[in-house]
Amino acid sequence: MFAIKVDTAVLPGPRRASLILFAGLAAALAACSPPAPQKNTPAPAGIVNVYSGRHYDADKAVFRAFTEETGIDVRAIEADGAQLLERLKAEGEFTNADVIMTVDAGNLARLVEAGLLAPLSSPAVEAVPARYRDPQGRWVAFARRARVIIYQKGAVDPATLTSMDDLVKPDWRGAICVRTGANLYNLSLMAARIERDGPERAQAWAKGMVANFARQPQGSDTDQLRAVAAGDCKIAIVNHYYLARMQGSDDPADRAVAEKVGIVFPDQAGAGAHVNISGAGVSVHARNRDNAQKLVEYMTTAKAQQIIADMNDELPVADGVALPAPLAAMAGFKEEDVAFDAIGARQGEAQRLFETAGWR
Amino acid sequence: MALSGDARAVASSPRSRLADAWPAIAAAAAALVCAAPAIAVLAGGLTARIDDPGAADLMARSVRGTMVLVLVAGAAATALGAAAAWLVTLCQFPGRRLFEWLLVLPLAAPVYVLAYAYGAITGPGGPAPIRLSGLAGAGVVYALGFYPYVYLAARAAFVSQSVCALEAARALGATPWRTFLTVALPLAWPGIAAGAALACMEIAADYGAAAYFGAETVTTGVFRAWFARGEPQLALQLAAYLLAGALALLALERYARGRRSFAGASARWRPLPRYRLAPAAAGAATLFCATLVVLGAAAPLAWLLRLASFRPLADLADLGPPLLRTLLLAGAGAALTLTLSALIAASARRPAGRAGALAAAVGYAAPGAVTALGAMAVFAAAREAGLVGGLGGALSIAALLWVYAARFAAAGAQPIEAGLTRVGRHMGEAGRTLGASPSRRLAHIDLPIAAPGVIAGALVVFVDILKELPATLVLRPFDFETLAVRAHSYASDDRLTQAAAPALLITLAGLAPVIMLSRRLSRARAGDAPGDGQ
Repeated sequence: MFAIKVDTAVLPGPRRASLILFAGLAAALAACSPPAPQKNTPAPAGIVNVYSGRHYDADKAVFRAFTEETGIDVRAIEADGAQLLERLKAEGEFTNADVIMTVDAGNLARLVEAGLLAPLSSPAVEAVPARYRDPQGRWVAFARRARVIIYQKGAVDPATLTSMDDLVKPDWRGAICVRTGANLYNLSLMAARIERDGPERAQAWAKGMVANFARQPQGSDTDQLRAVAAGDCKIAIVNHYYLARMQGSDDPADRAVAEKVGIVFPDQAGAGAHVNISGAGVSVHARNRDNAQKLVEYMTTAKAQQIIADMNDELPVADGVALPAPLAAMAGFKEEDVAFDAIGARQGEAQRLFETAGWR
Repeated sequence: MALSGDARAVASSPRSRLADAWPAIAAAAAALVCAAPAIAVLAGGLTARIDDPGAADLMARSVRGTMVLVLVAGAAATALGAAAAWLVTLCQFPGRRLFEWLLVLPLAAPVYVLAYAYGAITGPGGPAPIRLSGLAGAGVVYALGFYPYVYLAARAAFVSQSVCALEAARALGATPWRTFLTVALPLAWPGIAAGAALACMEIAADYGAAAYFGAETVTTGVFRAWFARGEPQLALQLAAYLLAGALALLALERYARGRRSFAGASARWRPLPRYRLAPAAAGAATLFCATLVVLGAAAPLAWLLRLASFRPLADLADLGPPLLRTLLLAGAGAALTLTLSALIAASARRPAGRAGALAAAVGYAAPGAVTALGAMAVFAAAREAGLVGGLGGALSIAALLWVYAARFAAAGAQPIEAGLTRVGRHMGEAGRTLGASPSRRLAHIDLPIAAPGVIAGALVVFVDILKELPATLVLRPFDFETLAVRAHSYASDDRLTQAAAPALLITLAGLAPVIMLSRRLSRARAGDAPGDGQ
């Protein structure tokens, strides 16, 4: 009795209140989050847990369609790919992840390298063209994105800009806007170039680009589009879907930007336009392996990729997807033929060459 | 109410020795909790040699960028915050009472949102005639976004100032300007220095705004080295520089604060007299405060509102659950963090406690993603030892709360500690003479007098957690979206019209506590009648 009195009196009033508040909030939070399955006790049938480096409403719509068709509930954590990888490594065999998906060939390569993806043999996956899947079936691509040249209509003759190599010509001093060299899209672009042309020629190209920069790299791909529309620069490099998205934006200012710029799929007479992928695979520690395989297979279907094309303007890998209007105008280009695992392997080198070239 | 009976409890000797020791033990434990993730990161391999020829260049550029930003933007934030605090606390000018709380508003908006807003406002097609980019862009956003840290701390210091010194200056014919420079500023210096240290550490730890403007800083360098170059060793070395820099900064702040003791300050509390500024000066004061509010809060909020207006109202319906989770998470995180903050601050004047404050500062200056990586490393080690399982559900929330505490305990401790330096030594000595234990003196003397600091600390921590992104993003459980996560998933994809509503909600959710606590802060002056402030 006495001791209890001393103990509570020792706690300052505000802190006593905060402890009670804390306990209450912690209880409420615990109630708000779904329970975690323990090791060796498989989650109830009908669940698949996804760790995703993508964060699109389209993916949620695909998961809903999957649930409707199969009755399997999808639970997801979406975070930046590289940090999700660190979480997967830290969790090891205790991870709840059944399916792992991410954007970018480099992220997929790092997942493979860390031994986090299980080989998958499935007729549905093997029906995907070999270029778009890991030979051992550890990942399969379900969406594509092209890195394209954007120019200011009226200021640039697109006939003079048919190749990425045209961008380093001295005619374009002070004309080019692009994001930083730390950006994943640029790193994969450069990695493919290193694989294709060798480090020396790739380095010379990066230096030529830096010499033609209109400004220090900054902002997002959309910011590069705005800069071209406003005349801050004549040329930019962006992913194709950012333009498609601006064409269909809620904001009239964005649609006006899209009106003022043109798009070129580069190197159609040569090596082809650089393309990157999003891919999915089954976790080596998956507890819901069958459901995981079903979801990965579902991602390869025309139905899933139709949703992604409609909502996210990414290009499909599967046949039989009816492209929405802005995408239909962009499809059917020649794609650069560099293996995606090589792109992943060369990203670190690409970052170092960018830094040496001054593409920061 | 609790003043009865238990003085007996401290009289018996073993119990009293324990009572004397527990704040130090608790503070040490709190400090360990805060520093563990950072230590885990650094333990990952600082000794490794790096052969990469470009590494030295990357490090030099990164360190230079962060130093420039901390020095220039930190100084700007300090000057803006301290000047604004002095104006609204000690001067009379049109709109003063409104500005008292309006000036805190930029605190409610995450700096990455400010960066996006300024990217659009000053970008191509935007209304501003200038273009912001690189270090300059990040610097402007930091000065505007972080001055409220100094403003809050400085105002807490000005509010609790003794009238006597100010009246003496006034009676001796000092002008407001002279009084500010020679009396008010030196007296408020601990508070201002504490706020400045917070602002500088926020600048050092920020990733979002620097990455957006393409500024090369240590934080962006850590990400570049770790995730783009695939060189964790290099990233760790950079992180070590950042943490060492934070320690140096804190040492500098202690030095600047000096060994001041305010034992001589009068305990006579009366309403602060305010200078009635001449019309021109009053106009300038109004304009100054209005400019800060417009640039720091109104313009970015207007930009967000415009973007949000393009979306159907139905979007808002989806934001209910994330809003609830965000508030619960921030509430629980702030309660835990502030408890650690109070423990650390209370014993910060002892040698052992000083180390605790430094440990907490290390956590604060570390970027959230790095702290999260450290926490995951600790969990991985605990898993190896068979202590815990996977990071699912409740454990994942626990990890998040821990990272919040590690990140933000210093933000809570700094204002509390600054408030505690205002507790005259003689009061504690009187309490000791009367036989009160350290914990009892803390509860009944120190914390009540430091109340403005405690309030400022609670506010800063709650809002910091509300805005926190990288750790929340990677550590959260399945299907657990907060507002910041939602805003990020759209903004990182350039879907800014969809990102606008959750970003606005973060700001609005932060606004209520900002206003509430800001009002309490003005009333926190002992002896002021309610409704005072004319």
